[in-house]
Amino acid sequence: MEATTKQKKMRSMKVMRRTTNAIIYVILVVISIIWLFPFFYLIIQSLRGETGNYTNYFFPKKWTFDNYIHLFTNEGYNSGTGKIESLQAYNFMTWYGRTFLIAVVVTIVQTVIVLVTSYALSRMRFKMRKPLMNLMLILGMFPGFMSMTALYFLLQLIGLTQNMSTVGLILVYVGSSCMGYYICKGFFDTIPKSLDEAARIDGASRQLIFFKIILPLSKPIIVYTLLTAFMGPWGDYMFASLIANGNPAYWNVAVGLRDMVQPQTLLTYSDSFQRFCAAGVVVSLPITILFFILQRYYVEGVTGGSVKG
Amino acid sequence: MASLSLKHIYKVYPNGVKAVNDFTMEIEDKEFIVFVGPSGCGKSTTLRMIAGLEDITAGELKIGDLVVNDVEPKDRDIAMVFQNYALYPHMTVFENIAFGLRLRKMPREEINRRVKEAAEILGITEYLGRKPKEMSGGQRQRVSLGRAIVREPKVMLLDEPLSNLDAKLRTQMRSEIAKLHKRLGTTFIYVTHDQIEAMTMGTRIVVMKDGFVQQIDTPKNLYNYPGNKFVAGFIGTPQMNFFEGTLKKVGDNVEIAFHNTDAKVTVPYSYFYKTRPAYLNGETTVIIGLRAENVSLDPETVAKAAATIKVKISHKEELGNETLIYGDINMEGDGYTESSTRIIIKSADDVEHVAGEIVDAALDLDHVHLFDAETEVSILPRIPEFNYLDCDVQGKTLSFLGQSVTLPSVIECESGAGELLIPSDAIKLGGNIVAQVVGIEDILGKKLLSMELGGRRIFAVVDEEVTTSTVGISIDMKKITILRDGQEIVSPMPEVVSFDGNFVKKKVVEDVPETAQERAKRLAKEQKKAAKAAKAAPAEGEQPQEEPVTIEETPVEEPVLTKRKKIVKFSLLIENAEFPAPEDIAQRLIAALSLKRVFDKKYRFECTPYDLTLAEEGIEAEVVGIVDYGEERFARCLVGEKTIYVKLDDSIASLSGTVHLLPDIDKLAIIQADMDIRLV
Repeated sequence: MEATTKQKKMRSMKVMRRTTNAIIYVILVVISIIWLFPFFYLIIQSLRGETGNYTNYFFPKKWTFDNYIHLFTNEGYNSGTGKIESLQAYNFMTWYGRTFLIAVVVTIVQTVIVLVTSYALSRMRFKMRKPLMNLMLILGMFPGFMSMTALYFLLQLIGLTQNMSTVGLILVYVGSSCMGYYICKGFFDTIPKSLDEAARIDGASRQLIFFKIILPLSKPIIVYTLLTAFMGPWGDYMFASLIANGNPAYWNVAVGLRDMVQPQTLLTYSDSFQRFCAAGVVVSLPITILFFILQRYYVEGVTGGSVKG
Repeated sequence: MASLSLKHIYKVYPNGVKAVNDFTMEIEDKEFIVFVGPSGCGKSTTLRMIAGLEDITAGELKIGDLVVNDVEPKDRDIAMVFQNYALYPHMTVFENIAFGLRLRKMPREEINRRVKEAAEILGITEYLGRKPKEMSGGQRQRVSLGRAIVREPKVMLLDEPLSNLDAKLRTQMRSEIAKLHKRLGTTFIYVTHDQIEAMTMGTRIVVMKDGFVQQIDTPKNLYNYPGNKFVAGFIGTPQMNFFEGTLKKVGDNVEIAFHNTDAKVTVPYSYFYKTRPAYLNGETTVIIGLRAENVSLDPETVAKAAATIKVKISHKEELGNETLIYGDINMEGDGYTESSTRIIIKSADDVEHVAGEIVDAALDLDHVHLFDAETEVSILPRIPEFNYLDCDVQGKTLSFLGQSVTLPSVIECESGAGELLIPSDAIKLGGNIVAQVVGIEDILGKKLLSMELGGRRIFAVVDEEVTTSTVGISIDMKKITILRDGQEIVSPMPEVVSFDGNFVKKKVVEDVPETAQERAKRLAKEQKKAAKAAKAAPAEGEQPQEEPVTIEETPVEEPVLTKRKKIVKFSLLIENAEFPAPEDIAQRLIAALSLKRVFDKKYRFECTPYDLTLAEEGIEAEVVGIVDYGEERFARCLVGEKTIYVKLDDSIASLSGTVHLLPDIDKLAIIQADMDIRLV
């Protein structure tokens, strides 16, 4: 008797687990739908053929790639004249190219600065180390746009606005990059110091230890730093729009995209919203590609086997 | 393959914690030295200082003949094995082992040969292509050993290399490391907290506690002659039994009475030749140490034993080959808690004992250890510091052990009996007191001569070998002490003269001749200028001269210019007298205390009376008397409120008034006063 009741209890535990799992999965599915819906909507809308900025139905009646083509040829459907006309002010390719250039340069420089700063703060012991770390952390808590006006005037003073805005933007993005040391330093702290010491005894200099021992072990954090460094300037709106000073020739993609969904533009060009969506898809491509290239390092745990295991 | 010398090594952290205190040791070539002690005792710190991973606060470290305090780890020719292996995880085993050789730009064939050889020695040849994470702990530690031995270092440093391995592997690796040491013939320094590792591997062991060296000796000597209670308790398993008790001399025997029990055992007085008689008064509490194997419950042994004690059995631990029986000599005690009455007995017999049973245990008092209850230092030292003798003073005659010597004029004391303390190094060979030689022992590099004089055993530390059956001895009167009723009535002359002072810097403007480098730079600059001027000259002139100008190249001796320069001069301010500080001493002080703090600290300067000379200038001292020991004469002087002694030349007949003393700066010990760190 007792054995059978025990058996029953065990079976009921299995049933319980199944039910709980089912409930959890349902919740997860709902959450993912809510989360993924905007992306899905963006892609659908970028392929919509019929004009008009908003529709009261979800799936388009006519599918087309025209929005993508018009995006790159800088054309729009004028709702007043009912004709496709060239948009003089727009130059999507230039915006895209400039933003990409800025992002790549910033990514490289910022990653180097962050890694080097983090290594120094993790491994070296100097007098103002703790105060410096705290200072950087506190400064990082102030929103960047607080200093925006000041930065604008400074850049104007040395002539890095308007037609030199690319250089100006790079400078602004790179300028404070060492403040992002925190996560990277946390990672370096987990690499045992005895590795450095063993290498020192083996005859390696600080630089050699950094490049030959620490960096190969830090792939996940390098990837993380690269991605975050890229995403900052790639999606920045505020600084870019301020420095461009309203001149479409010096915009980056975010500023250009914002212009596409201005009420005035939406009224004048009835395909502006679809082009906006197409641009959104095009803009998200580099990050997606970057992530897929780097993701295997992101997951890989590499410190295994170095020390006590 | 090198010897090491550590002299007064200190490690003081910026927060003032002293991790290592006055570590002094000479390590010979090919030795296997083990640093052992509980965690936090400073053993790893010492090793890391030898490796160069940690700065040495004060002291001198030599590898071979080279002072390496300021040498980078890679240039010290050492290799180190870490507790957590510290293998480079992204490299294969081969690359891990070859890393150091590649950095040294060794030819490829040589690297291959050495790595293969090391791998063969350690039995990891088949794993050379693997990554560390694909290996077990024991294999990883072998790779780590391989990385160390391919470099063929002078010294191998091992920092708890076996602590991460399981018990079986640890035993196996232990013998492998010992084998490796034999095969390589390199000096090994091994840090561990495991006394079994220390005992089985080391040729000599350094026992440390709280940053202080407790004892340095061979495993056997540590076991047989522990210098204090800590060493006695740390070395050997199970831990030594410690009891409290008193000693009382009764005729030719000494009675050992245990506290908390009425047990009394007697031992012949010959055990206590080296012990200070004051311990044998029957009142002073001492700690009695006896190892578990020196107590026996075997009925036969108990029947024959000279000394037995009653033990209440509490429980036992079966170890297979032997049994540890726990009990208490106090019938009220429980035998579980560590106390001064708990006793552990190693027993191989099959006699079953019931808990609560009261049995007789035989004590093997040949192996008893006795410690002072307060200082915990052994009162059966191998080399006694003093000979404690009864004496009698009548006028200027001191008699002891049937001998009479005339006291030097300087020793003044009232007539009467007293206790005479003669340090064992104050008895010199050659003299008119004749003593019977009993034996001579080599202990820790010193020769201890035991003699019989007037029915007592006396000991002297001597330099030369003694083969005769009698020797003539004399006593260095400046080292003796006479006590009467516990009061010191004759004190030895202090062997150390100590001064207070500071370390100061001064900025001086001086004309300094330019250095060779500066001179070369200046000459090059002037030449350039001249060349430029020569080039510019024809352009200005309307017609360039067609004839080539021959410049006579007479080597003009350029004068060495002097420059007015501000230079910083360091000096030692000893009792308000200033002495220029030699460069190396100044550098060592600054290195130890940092430039910011070095000038605020107070220092103590110590030397011997022999290192002081009279001079025109120097430390001002007031002569208050001449101390005449017959053979040697010293001036007793007052410096401030301190009394110091200065050795006088025979040529100086008398001295009075104010004199100036000049210390030998190179022989000065400079001690930072408030933290008591010996810096130079």
